[in-house]
Amino acid sequence: MSQNTFTMSRRSFIAGALATGAALAMAKPSIDASVAFANDAAVDGGTLNYYLTDPVSIDPYNVQENQGMQVCNALFDALTTYDGQQGKLIGKAASSWEANEDATEFTFHLREGATFHNGEPVTAQSFVYAWNRLCSPLTDPENPSVVSYHLSMVEGYDDVVAGVKGATLNMEAKDDYTLVVHLSFSYADFPYVVSHLATAPVPESAASDMATYQWAPVGNGAFKMDGKWESGQYIKIVRNDAYWGDKAHIDGVDFKILLDIDTAYLEFEAGNLDNTQIPNGRISAVAAQYGVAPDGYTANPGEETLLGPEDSIYYLTCNNQDKIFSNAHMRKAVSYAIDRQAICDTIFEGTRVPADNFITPGIAGYEAGAWEAAKYDVAAAKEEIELAKKDLGVDSFSIILNCNSGSGHEDIMQLIMANLKEIGVEAKMEAVEWASYLQKLQDGDYQIGRLGWIADYPIMDNYLYPMFYTGNGDNRSQYSNPAVDEALSAARAIVDDAERIAALQKVNRMIAEDFPVIPLMFYRHTIVCSNRVNNLYVGSLQMIDFTKCWLSA
Amino acid sequence: MLRYILKRILQFIPVFIGVTVILFVLQNVVPGDPIKLITGEKAVSPEVELQLRIANHLVKTQEFPILDENGQQVYDEDGNPQMVKRAVNSKGEPVSNSKDAEPESVWDRYVYYISGLLQGNLGNSYQKRRPVADIFLEKYPYTIRLALCGIVVEIIVGIGAGVISAIKRYSFWDVLVTLSTSILVAMPAFWLGMLLQLLFGVNLKILPISGAGANSAFPEYLHYILPAITLASVSTAYTARIMRSQLLDVMNSDYIRTAVAKGLSSRKVIVHHALKNALIPVVTYIGIDFGSMLSGAILTETVFNWPGIGLTIYQAIMQRDWPIVLGGVSIICIVVMVISLIVDVSYAFLDPRIRYGASAKGGK
Repeated sequence: MSQNTFTMSRRSFIAGALATGAALAMAKPSIDASVAFANDAAVDGGTLNYYLTDPVSIDPYNVQENQGMQVCNALFDALTTYDGQQGKLIGKAASSWEANEDATEFTFHLREGATFHNGEPVTAQSFVYAWNRLCSPLTDPENPSVVSYHLSMVEGYDDVVAGVKGATLNMEAKDDYTLVVHLSFSYADFPYVVSHLATAPVPESAASDMATYQWAPVGNGAFKMDGKWESGQYIKIVRNDAYWGDKAHIDGVDFKILLDIDTAYLEFEAGNLDNTQIPNGRISAVAAQYGVAPDGYTANPGEETLLGPEDSIYYLTCNNQDKIFSNAHMRKAVSYAIDRQAICDTIFEGTRVPADNFITPGIAGYEAGAWEAAKYDVAAAKEEIELAKKDLGVDSFSIILNCNSGSGHEDIMQLIMANLKEIGVEAKMEAVEWASYLQKLQDGDYQIGRLGWIADYPIMDNYLYPMFYTGNGDNRSQYSNPAVDEALSAARAIVDDAERIAALQKVNRMIAEDFPVIPLMFYRHTIVCSNRVNNLYVGSLQMIDFTKCWLSA
Repeated sequence: MLRYILKRILQFIPVFIGVTVILFVLQNVVPGDPIKLITGEKAVSPEVELQLRIANHLVKTQEFPILDENGQQVYDEDGNPQMVKRAVNSKGEPVSNSKDAEPESVWDRYVYYISGLLQGNLGNSYQKRRPVADIFLEKYPYTIRLALCGIVVEIIVGIGAGVISAIKRYSFWDVLVTLSTSILVAMPAFWLGMLLQLLFGVNLKILPISGAGANSAFPEYLHYILPAITLASVSTAYTARIMRSQLLDVMNSDYIRTAVAKGLSSRKVIVHHALKNALIPVVTYIGIDFGSMLSGAILTETVFNWPGIGLTIYQAIMQRDWPIVLGGVSIICIVVMVISLIVDVSYAFLDPRIRYGASAKGGK
C-alpha cells in the first residue's frame, strides 16, 4: 500500500474518532489558528504547571510509564525521537545514522558540541556506559532494571543481564561521535527503539552515584533539574540554556505531583495547574466549556480539550491452544458479536474508540478496517458461530471470560456476555486479582481474557512481533503461525522504510485472517489545558516536546 | 508503674509477632506471582525475571566465587575473594532460569523479613523500586505533623465546645453544638474536605487546595488548615459529645454539690473539680484517635494529596505493593501499641485512684 493511501485512511480514522469530541465543542468559538498560534507570535518566559502522578523513575535506568517518561523526555535526548507533528523519526542526540545491508549493524553519528547538564560532552562512550548500566544487574543488585528489554536485540544482551562477569553489549565508540551497535538479528526498526528514553545517555561521573542520581538526574536534554524530585510532591525543571538545539520558550516546567484525579481537577479549576486529566463523567461538560482541539493533540486557547486517539489498545486475548478458541471461526464470531460502540459510549463516555485493527491509528502503516472481523455485525457473528459448531462438532458453546478484578473490567465483560447471549453463546465471568490473572494468562489457563497494549515505539513491529511471534513472552494468546513468523522476520530485515511498512502491513493482514486476538477499543486522550497554554502538542504516545509550547502573557 | 510499663512492653512482642505473621501468611496465601506485580503486563526476559526473584528473596541463593577467564578466583583490591549471589536448584547448583530455581520457603522469607525489620530494613517496594524504610522515613513526618494539627483542633474545639455545651445546657450554644456535631458525624470526612476545597480553594482562593506546602504559592502553615479540619471533623464532634455528657454527669454528683455548697465559684468547681474527672473518657478517646491519626488518614491524605503514610499505603493496596503494605501495617502496629500504653499511663495522672502495678490487695 502506498504512503498516500495510508495517510488518508489514518486521517479519516482520526477525523471520525474526533467527531464526537468536536460535536461536544459547540460552546466555544475557535480562534483563527493561522493568526493566533503562529510560532512567530510565541512569547518567551513563564513556568508551565504540569499535572503528574508520582513517577516510578525519572532515571533512564528504570523509566517506563508515561509519568516518568514525560520528565525524562524533557531532561534527556535519546539518539532519535519520533516527531508526531511531522509524523517521522528525527535525530536527537544523533544527527544521522545508517544500517548495514541486513540491518544487523547500525552506525549513529552523534551531534558534536552537545553536552550534559554538568558540562561534560555527550560522546559515543556515554551511550556505551548508559546501555551497559541499563542492562547489568550489577548496577543495582537489589533493584535490577525492568526496562532493559529494549536492548534485547543487541549482541551480548543475554550475558549482560545474567550478570556474567566482564560481559558487555556489543557496541563500540569508534570515536567520540561515532557509535556502532551490533545486533544479534536483523532489525531495521532499531532507530525507533533508540528513541525510547531508557536508552538515553547518562554521564558516568554522575550516574555512578545511583542514590543521588535517581532523584536529580543529569541529562542532555533541553531542560535540566532544578533541585531534586520530591516524591509525592513535585519535580521542577528549568530551561537548559546550553542546549544544542532550539531553546524552549518557557522558563521551566513545574511538575506538580497529585495522586487523586479529582483533586488535580480542582487545582486546575483554581488556576494552579495548566493541564489535567479529565475525571470520569465530565468529558462532555469540559469539552463544551474549554473547546476541543481540532487535531485532538494540540492545545491552544479556546481549543483546550485534547481527545486524540493514543497508541494503546484494549483487546481480548484468546487462548489459541484452547479446544474452542483454537478455532478461528469461534474467535471471529465473538468479535462480530461485540458492540464496541456501546461499550465506548456507555462505560467510557466516548473516551475510547472502537478498534478496527490491532495496530493503532497513530502508527505508520495503520490501515482502517484491516482486521475485518473487528466490527459489530450480529449476522456475521451468527454465520461464524455456525461454522465453528460445524468444525468443532458441537451444538452450543459455554465459555468463560477472564479479567482482573477491581479495575472496572467486570462492567465491560458484562456487556460482552450480553452480546454473546444474542448469538447463543453462554458466557460466565471469572475475575481474579491482577497477579493471579497474569499468571493464568501466562500458564495458558484460560479461554478468553482481557489485556491492554501500549506501544513503546510508534512502529507496527512493536505490536506484531511481541504479540504474535511464536513463543514470545507477550504472546499470551499462544498464537503460532510459521508463515507469519517467517514473514515477520523477513520484514524486520528490510532497511527501506516504505518497503518494510508494506511488508508489515501484509503480515498484519495475515494475522487478521487468523484473528488470534480480538481488538476492542483504542484509548484516547482525556486532557484539558488552561487558556494560557499555546502549541502544547501531546502526541499519540503521550509524549510532549516542552520546547515548542509557550504561555500567553 | 515502671513494672507495669515493662509488662506492657513485653506484651507487645506476641501481639506484634501475631500481626506480622497474619499479614505475612495472608500475603503469601494470595495467589499470583509477585514478579508479575513488578513487571506488569509486558514480559521481561528470563534472565531479568531471575534477577528480580533473587533481589526479592523469592528463590534460594548461594554465594559463588567469581572466576576469571582462566578459572581462577577473582579478588578485590583488599585481597578478599569476590563473590556473586546466584539462584540455585534443590541440589544447590547454580541455575540460570526461574523455573529451575528452588523457591524460598515462606518461613525463610518471614525470618528474613523479621530480621530485616529489626535492622530497619523493610524490603523494596514492588512499584516504587525503593527501600520501603526510606519511603516511610520520608512520608511519616508529614503524617505526624498533620496528626498533631488534627489533635490540637480536636482538643481545643472538641473539649471547648463540649464544656460550653454542658455548662450552658439548653441554651443557643448547646443547641448549636449538638446540631453541628450531628452534622459533622453524619458527613463523610472526604466530602467535607472536598466542600472546603471548593469554598476556600477554588472560589475564595484564600487557602491551598492540596499538598503539604512544598513548592507552593501559599505559606506552608496554610496548607495544614483544611486537612487538619477535615481529619479532625468527626472525632471533634465525638469529643464534644463525650465531653458534654461526662461533664453533665459529674456536675450532678455529690462532691460537686458539696463544692458548690461550700461556696466555691462556678469556675473553680468546673476547672478544679468537675473537668478533671470528666476528662478521663475524653482522654481515652482522644488518645485512641491520635493513634489512628498517626496510622495515616487515607481519605484526608488522598483528598488533599498529603504526602503521608495513609496515602502511601492506600496506593500500595491499590497496586498490590505488598512490601509497603506489610511495612506500613508493622509500623502502624507499633505506633498504636505505644499510644495505647501512653493513654493507659496517663490515667494514673488524671485519677489518683488508678495505680498500675499495685498489688491486688489494694496496696498503698
